Amino acid sequence: RLQDFIGQKRVDSIARVALAACTIASFAVGYVLQSLRVTMGAFALSTLLVAVMVVPPWPVYNRHPVRWRKD
Amino acid sequence: MHSALARVNNVSSLFSTCLMVLLAAVALIDVVSLKVYNAKAKRYPFKEQEFGFVKFDIDADLTPLFNWNTKQLFVYLEAEYASSHGVNNTIVLWDRIVPRKEDAHVVVSSGRNKYKLKELYESFKNTSPATFSLKYNVMPYVGLLTYGEAARTEGHEIPEARDAIA
Repeated sequence: RLQDFIGQKRVDSIARVALAACTIASFAVGYVLQSLRVTMGAFALSTLLVAVMVVPPWPVYNRHPVRWRKD
Repeated sequence: MHSALARVNNVSSLFSTCLMVLLAAVALIDVVSLKVYNAKAKRYPFKEQEFGFVKFDIDADLTPLFNWNTKQLFVYLEAEYASSHGVNNTIVLWDRIVPRKEDAHVVVSSGRNKYKLKELYESFKNTSPATFSLKYNVMPYVGLLTYGEAARTEGHEIPEARDAIA
């Protein structure tokens, strides 16, 4: 089985940073436009984007697979 | 993060945490200020079980109460008086739901009480003068309900009972 711990760590940080940033951003945009719909819509959309970026097993996260010893 | 399912778990729990933080921020950032108003009343009770009839005019501009987190306003007119036994009574006479900022300038000319104004001891004799107040309740999308008072009149004496009005 292929395991890539570097990729896993990267996925974890991307998810965390992106979601925190999108929370703050959607709050700010909605507050400026005085529309709760904008806030919630932006938040939902960004979560969906993060999910697409992070959940499927993209090959870019498998660049450093663990090399097991042959013996 | 070793499988897609593990990543779904991670993202969904992060999402829930962020959502709760976002909603808390929306709820806490409320800013409210007050304004306006004018109320007058007249009354003629009615025999047997005495009923009070109130006629009033309201001109209230409640638009400052609407912000991004306001779902609707509940506006109501209350009458307060002390009965002959010294018990304080507060009665809601009229109410209205204001769902949009455009409807927030409440103008009522010759309004009548929607709900019965009657004293539990059947007679309004010897009760203290009644004051009328216009109060509102701000109902947010996210957060706690807040209440406020928009206006208050001076005491009006409740007149003698009369027979049925045609």
